[in-house]
Amino acid sequence: MTTLGALLAIVALLTITVAAGFTLRRWRSAVQRVDTAEIIEPARLGAERLGDRATLLQFSTELCTRCPGVHRTLASIADAKQGVLHLDVDLTHRPDIARHFRLLQTPTTLILDRDGAIQARFGGAPPRDVVELELDRVTRMEHAGA
Amino acid sequence: MRVPEPRSGRIDPRAPRFGAGITAALLLITVFLGLVGAPWTGSLAQRALDPAFLLLLLVALLFLWGVVSPRAAPWAVLYRRVVGPRLKPPTELEDPRPPRFAQGVGLFVVSVGLVLQLLAVPWALPIAAGAAFVAAFLNAVFGFCLGCVLYLTLQRIGLVGRAATT
Repeated sequence: MTTLGALLAIVALLTITVAAGFTLRRWRSAVQRVDTAEIIEPARLGAERLGDRATLLQFSTELCTRCPGVHRTLASIADAKQGVLHLDVDLTHRPDIARHFRLLQTPTTLILDRDGAIQARFGGAPPRDVVELELDRVTRMEHAGA
Repeated sequence: MRVPEPRSGRIDPRAPRFGAGITAALLLITVFLGLVGAPWTGSLAQRALDPAFLLLLLVALLFLWGVVSPRAAPWAVLYRRVVGPRLKPPTELEDPRPPRFAQGVGLFVVSVGLVLQLLAVPWALPIAAGAAFVAAFLNAVFGFCLGCVLYLTLQRIGLVGRAATT
Protein backbone atom coordinates (compact mmCIF):
# COMPACT_ATOMS: atom_id res chain seq x y z
CA MET A 1 0.00 0.00 0.00
CA THR A 2 1.27 3.50 -0.76
CA THR A 3 1.93 5.99 2.03
CA LEU A 4 -1.03 8.06 0.87
CA GLY A 5 -3.28 5.00 0.88
CA ALA A 6 -2.13 4.07 4.38
CA LEU A 7 -2.72 7.62 5.62
CA LEU A 8 -6.23 7.59 4.14
CA ALA A 9 -6.90 4.26 5.84
CA ILE A 10 -5.69 5.73 9.17
CA VAL A 11 -7.99 8.74 8.74
CA ALA A 12 -10.91 6.40 7.92
CA LEU A 13 -10.14 4.27 11.00
CA LEU A 14 -10.04 7.36 13.23
CA THR A 15 -13.27 8.75 11.76
CA ILE A 16 -15.15 5.48 12.23
CA THR A 17 -13.87 5.13 15.80
CA VAL A 18 -14.87 8.68 16.76
CA ALA A 19 -18.31 8.17 15.18
CA ALA A 20 -18.70 4.90 17.10
CA GLY A 21 -17.69 6.69 20.30
CA PHE A 22 -20.32 9.41 19.89
CA THR A 23 -22.96 6.82 18.99
CA LEU A 24 -22.12 4.74 22.05
CA ARG A 25 -22.22 7.79 24.28
CA ARG A 26 -25.62 8.87 22.99
CA TRP A 27 -26.95 5.34 23.21
CA ARG A 28 -25.73 4.93 26.78
CA SER A 29 -27.14 8.16 28.13
CA ALA A 30 -30.42 8.35 26.20
CA VAL A 31 -33.67 8.72 28.09
CA GLN A 32 -36.21 6.12 27.20
CA ARG A 33 -39.84 6.86 27.82
CA VAL A 34 -41.25 3.62 29.10
CA ASP A 35 -44.89 2.77 29.34
CA THR A 36 -45.38 -0.64 30.83
CA ALA A 37 -48.27 -2.03 32.76
CA GLU A 38 -45.84 -3.48 35.28
CA ILE A 39 -46.15 -2.19 38.82
CA ILE A 40 -42.93 -2.41 40.83
CA GLU A 41 -43.35 -3.94 44.26
CA PRO A 42 -40.83 -2.44 46.67
CA ALA A 43 -40.59 -5.66 48.69
CA ARG A 44 -39.09 -7.50 45.71
CA LEU A 45 -36.24 -5.00 45.63
CA GLY A 46 -35.67 -5.19 49.36
CA ALA A 47 -37.25 -1.79 50.04
CA GLU A 48 -40.04 -0.97 52.46
CA ARG A 49 -41.95 1.49 50.36
CA LEU A 50 -41.90 3.70 47.29
CA GLY A 51 -41.98 7.50 47.17
CA ASP A 52 -45.38 9.14 47.68
CA ARG A 53 -45.17 11.04 44.41
CA ALA A 54 -42.31 9.39 42.49
CA THR A 55 -39.34 7.09 43.00
CA LEU A 56 -35.86 7.28 41.51
CA LEU A 57 -34.90 3.62 41.31
CA GLN A 58 -31.17 3.20 40.72
CA PHE A 59 -29.46 -0.11 39.95
CA SER A 60 -25.77 -0.40 40.89
CA THR A 61 -23.08 -3.04 41.23
CA GLU A 62 -19.96 -3.30 43.38
CA LEU A 63 -17.58 -2.87 40.45
CA CYS A 64 -19.37 0.13 38.94
CA THR A 65 -17.29 3.30 38.78
CA ARG A 66 -19.99 5.83 38.05
CA CYS A 67 -22.59 4.46 40.46
CA PRO A 68 -21.48 6.43 43.58
CA GLY A 69 -21.58 9.73 41.64
CA VAL A 70 -25.04 8.97 40.24
CA HIS A 71 -26.13 7.94 43.74
CA ARG A 72 -25.11 11.36 45.13
CA THR A 73 -26.88 13.22 42.31
CA LEU A 74 -30.12 11.25 42.62
CA ALA A 75 -30.09 11.43 46.42
CA SER A 76 -29.80 15.22 46.32
CA ILE A 77 -32.58 15.49 43.71
CA ALA A 78 -34.82 13.32 45.90
CA ASP A 79 -33.93 15.37 49.00
CA ALA A 80 -34.91 18.58 47.25
CA LYS A 81 -38.34 17.33 46.17
CA GLN A 82 -41.00 16.35 48.60
CA GLY A 83 -42.53 12.93 48.14
CA VAL A 84 -39.68 11.72 45.94
CA LEU A 85 -37.69 8.75 47.19
CA HIS A 86 -34.31 7.50 45.95
CA LEU A 87 -33.71 3.73 46.08
CA ASP A 88 -30.32 2.24 45.19
CA VAL A 89 -30.45 -1.51 44.54
CA ASP A 90 -27.17 -3.46 44.47
CA LEU A 91 -27.40 -6.03 41.67
CA THR A 92 -24.11 -7.73 42.49
CA HIS A 93 -25.86 -10.60 44.21
CA ARG A 94 -29.18 -10.28 42.39
CA PRO A 95 -28.73 -11.38 38.76
CA ASP A 96 -32.46 -12.19 38.75
CA ILE A 97 -33.31 -8.48 39.02
CA ALA A 98 -30.82 -7.64 36.25
CA ARG A 99 -32.47 -10.21 33.99
CA HIS A 100 -35.98 -9.11 34.87
CA PHE A 101 -35.35 -5.47 33.91
CA ARG A 102 -33.00 -6.43 31.04
CA LEU A 103 -30.24 -4.34 32.59
CA LEU A 104 -27.18 -4.31 30.37
CA GLN A 105 -25.27 -1.60 32.17
CA THR A 106 -24.95 -0.03 35.58
CA PRO A 107 -25.91 2.46 36.68
CA THR A 108 -29.38 2.29 35.18
CA THR A 109 -32.06 4.51 36.68
CA LEU A 110 -35.82 4.14 36.41
CA ILE A 111 -38.35 6.80 37.32
CA LEU A 112 -41.46 5.31 38.85
CA ASP A 113 -44.68 7.22 39.32
CA ARG A 114 -46.61 7.16 42.60
CA ASP A 115 -48.24 3.84 41.68
CA GLY A 116 -44.86 2.21 41.04
CA ALA A 117 -45.25 2.09 37.23
CA ILE A 118 -42.05 2.67 35.24
CA GLN A 119 -42.21 6.00 33.39
CA ALA A 120 -38.65 6.63 32.21
CA ARG A 121 -35.35 4.84 31.99
CA PHE A 122 -31.80 6.27 31.93
CA GLY A 123 -28.65 4.36 31.12
CA GLY A 124 -25.31 5.50 32.52
CA ALA A 125 -24.83 8.79 34.31
CA PRO A 126 -27.65 11.12 33.20
CA PRO A 127 -27.16 14.90 33.60
CA ARG A 128 -28.96 16.29 36.63
CA ASP A 129 -31.25 18.61 34.66
CA VAL A 130 -32.39 15.79 32.38
CA VAL A 131 -33.45 13.72 35.41
CA GLU A 132 -35.22 16.72 36.96
CA LEU A 133 -37.09 17.43 33.72
CA GLU A 134 -38.33 13.84 33.47
CA LEU A 135 -39.21 13.81 37.16
CA ASP A 136 -41.28 16.97 36.70
CA ARG A 137 -43.06 15.35 33.78
CA VAL A 138 -43.87 12.27 35.85
CA THR A 139 -45.15 14.22 38.86
CA ARG A 140 -47.17 16.62 36.65
CA MET A 141 -48.76 13.70 34.84
CA GLU A 142 -50.04 12.44 38.15
CA HIS A 143 -51.87 15.75 38.76
CA ALA A 144 -53.38 15.71 35.29
CA GLY A 145 -54.59 12.16 35.80
CA ALA A 146 -56.02 12.79 39.27
CA MET B 1 -0.80 17.85 46.20
CA ARG B 2 -0.83 14.14 46.89
CA VAL B 3 -3.46 11.77 45.64
CA PRO B 4 -4.94 9.88 48.60
CA GLU B 5 -3.80 6.28 48.77
CA PRO B 6 -6.60 4.18 47.27
CA ARG B 7 -8.64 2.24 49.77
CA SER B 8 -8.41 -1.53 49.48
CA GLY B 9 -6.51 -1.41 46.20
CA ARG B 10 -9.03 0.71 44.31
CA ILE B 11 -7.55 2.87 41.58
CA ASP B 12 -8.07 6.27 39.97
CA PRO B 13 -10.24 5.46 36.91
CA ARG B 14 -8.25 8.01 34.87
CA ALA B 15 -5.10 5.89 35.21
CA PRO B 16 -6.23 3.09 32.84
CA ARG B 17 -7.57 5.72 30.42
CA PHE B 18 -4.19 7.45 30.40
CA GLY B 19 -2.49 4.14 29.63
CA ALA B 20 -5.09 3.41 26.92
CA GLY B 21 -4.24 6.75 25.26
CA ILE B 22 -0.55 5.83 24.94
CA THR B 23 -1.49 2.30 23.81
CA ALA B 24 -3.84 3.73 21.17
CA ALA B 25 -1.05 5.97 19.80
CA LEU B 26 1.36 3.02 19.58
CA LEU B 27 -1.31 0.89 17.88
CA LEU B 28 -2.13 3.59 15.33
CA ILE B 29 1.57 3.79 14.38
CA THR B 30 1.57 -0.02 14.11
CA VAL B 31 -1.43 0.05 11.75
CA PHE B 32 0.33 2.63 9.58
CA LEU B 33 3.61 0.66 9.45
CA GLY B 34 1.68 -2.56 8.80
CA LEU B 35 -0.21 -1.02 5.87
CA VAL B 36 2.79 0.67 4.25
CA GLY B 37 5.30 -2.13 4.73
CA ALA B 38 3.15 -5.16 3.78
CA PRO B 39 5.04 -6.99 6.58
CA TRP B 40 3.53 -10.40 5.75
CA THR B 41 5.89 -10.84 2.76
CA GLY B 42 9.43 -12.20 2.97
CA SER B 43 11.06 -14.96 4.99
CA LEU B 44 10.07 -15.83 8.57
CA ALA B 45 13.06 -13.86 9.91
CA GLN B 46 12.08 -10.83 7.81
CA ARG B 47 8.48 -11.06 9.00
CA ALA B 48 9.59 -11.32 12.64
CA LEU B 49 11.97 -8.35 12.34
CA ASP B 50 9.53 -6.07 10.53
CA PRO B 51 9.09 -2.76 12.42
CA ALA B 52 5.28 -3.21 12.55
CA PHE B 53 5.72 -6.68 14.08
CA LEU B 54 8.25 -5.44 16.63
CA LEU B 55 6.07 -2.50 17.66
CA LEU B 56 3.02 -4.74 18.08
CA LEU B 57 5.18 -7.17 20.07
CA LEU B 58 6.09 -4.26 22.37
CA VAL B 59 2.39 -3.43 22.81
CA ALA B 60 1.68 -7.12 23.55
CA LEU B 61 4.41 -7.16 26.23
CA LEU B 62 2.94 -4.01 27.79
CA PHE B 63 -0.51 -5.65 27.83
CA LEU B 64 1.07 -8.74 29.43
CA TRP B 65 2.68 -6.52 32.08
CA GLY B 66 -0.70 -4.91 32.74
CA VAL B 67 -2.26 -8.34 33.28
CA VAL B 68 0.51 -9.83 35.43
CA SER B 69 1.28 -6.80 37.57
CA PRO B 70 -1.05 -3.87 36.83
CA ARG B 71 0.35 -1.66 39.60
CA ALA B 72 3.92 -1.97 38.30
CA ALA B 73 3.06 -1.55 34.59
CA PRO B 74 4.93 1.45 33.08
CA TRP B 75 1.92 3.65 32.24
CA ALA B 76 0.35 2.98 35.64
CA VAL B 77 3.58 4.01 37.38
CA LEU B 78 3.95 7.08 35.14
CA TYR B 79 0.37 8.11 35.93
CA ARG B 80 0.75 7.56 39.68
CA ARG B 81 4.10 9.35 39.98
CA VAL B 82 3.87 12.15 37.40
CA VAL B 83 0.41 12.71 35.89
CA GLY B 84 -2.00 11.95 38.75
CA PRO B 85 -0.41 14.31 41.31
CA ARG B 86 -0.80 17.20 38.83
CA LEU B 87 -4.54 16.62 38.38
CA LYS B 88 -7.40 17.16 40.75
CA PRO B 89 -7.81 14.26 43.18
CA PRO B 90 -10.15 11.61 41.78
CA THR B 91 -13.82 11.96 42.69
CA GLU B 92 -14.36 8.21 42.38
CA LEU B 93 -12.12 5.20 42.68
CA GLU B 94 -12.73 2.05 40.72
CA ASP B 95 -12.15 -1.64 41.14
CA PRO B 96 -8.96 -2.62 39.29
CA ARG B 97 -10.30 -5.99 38.11
CA PRO B 98 -12.28 -4.91 35.00
CA PRO B 99 -9.43 -2.80 33.50
CA ARG B 100 -6.98 -5.61 34.27
CA PHE B 101 -9.23 -8.06 32.44
CA ALA B 102 -9.42 -5.57 29.56
CA GLN B 103 -5.61 -5.66 29.31
CA GLY B 104 -5.94 -9.42 28.87
CA VAL B 105 -8.48 -8.95 26.08
CA GLY B 106 -6.05 -6.54 24.38
CA LEU B 107 -3.24 -9.07 24.80
CA PHE B 108 -5.39 -11.76 23.17
CA VAL B 109 -6.30 -9.60 20.17
CA VAL B 110 -2.75 -8.43 19.39
CA SER B 111 -1.34 -11.95 20.01
CA VAL B 112 -3.65 -13.31 17.31
CA GLY B 113 -2.25 -10.64 14.97
CA LEU B 114 1.35 -11.54 15.88
CA VAL B 115 0.85 -15.28 15.35
CA LEU B 116 -0.93 -14.79 12.01
CA GLN B 117 1.86 -12.43 10.94
CA LEU B 118 4.44 -15.16 11.66
CA LEU B 119 2.27 -17.48 9.55
CA ALA B 120 2.44 -14.88 6.74
CA VAL B 121 -1.32 -14.22 6.69
CA PRO B 122 -1.86 -11.02 4.66
CA TRP B 123 -3.40 -7.98 6.45
CA ALA B 124 -3.73 -9.87 9.78
CA LEU B 125 -1.28 -7.63 11.63
CA PRO B 126 -2.77 -4.23 10.68
CA ILE B 127 -6.31 -5.56 11.20
CA ALA B 128 -5.54 -6.91 14.69
CA ALA B 129 -3.72 -3.68 15.58
CA GLY B 130 -6.68 -1.70 14.20
CA ALA B 131 -9.19 -3.66 16.29
CA ALA B 132 -7.13 -3.13 19.44
CA PHE B 133 -6.76 0.55 18.51
CA VAL B 134 -10.55 1.02 18.34
CA ALA B 135 -10.96 -0.43 21.85
CA ALA B 136 -8.04 1.57 23.32
CA PHE B 137 -9.20 4.82 21.68
CA LEU B 138 -12.81 4.44 22.88
CA ASN B 139 -11.48 3.86 26.39
CA ALA B 140 -9.05 6.79 26.34
CA VAL B 141 -11.29 9.39 24.68
CA PHE B 142 -14.84 8.32 25.56
CA GLY B 143 -14.22 6.42 28.80
CA PHE B 144 -15.90 3.43 27.23
CA CYS B 145 -13.93 0.31 28.17
CA LEU B 146 -15.07 -2.58 25.96
CA GLY B 147 -12.98 -5.12 27.88
CA CYS B 148 -14.52 -3.93 31.16
CA VAL B 149 -18.04 -4.33 29.76
CA LEU B 150 -17.08 -7.84 28.68
CA TYR B 151 -15.78 -8.57 32.19
CA LEU B 152 -18.99 -7.35 33.80
CA THR B 153 -21.10 -9.35 31.34
CA LEU B 154 -19.10 -12.52 32.00
CA GLN B 155 -19.35 -11.88 35.72
CA ARG B 156 -23.11 -11.44 35.46
CA ILE B 157 -23.48 -14.83 33.85
CA GLY B 158 -21.07 -16.23 36.43
CA LEU B 159 -18.01 -17.13 34.33
CA VAL B 160 -15.44 -14.90 36.03
CA GLY B 161 -15.01 -13.24 39.42
CA ARG B 162 -17.11 -14.58 42.23
CA ALA B 163 -19.14 -17.70 41.84
CA ALA B 164 -22.62 -17.29 40.44
CA THR B 165 -24.96 -16.19 43.20
CA THR B 166 -28.44 -17.43 43.67
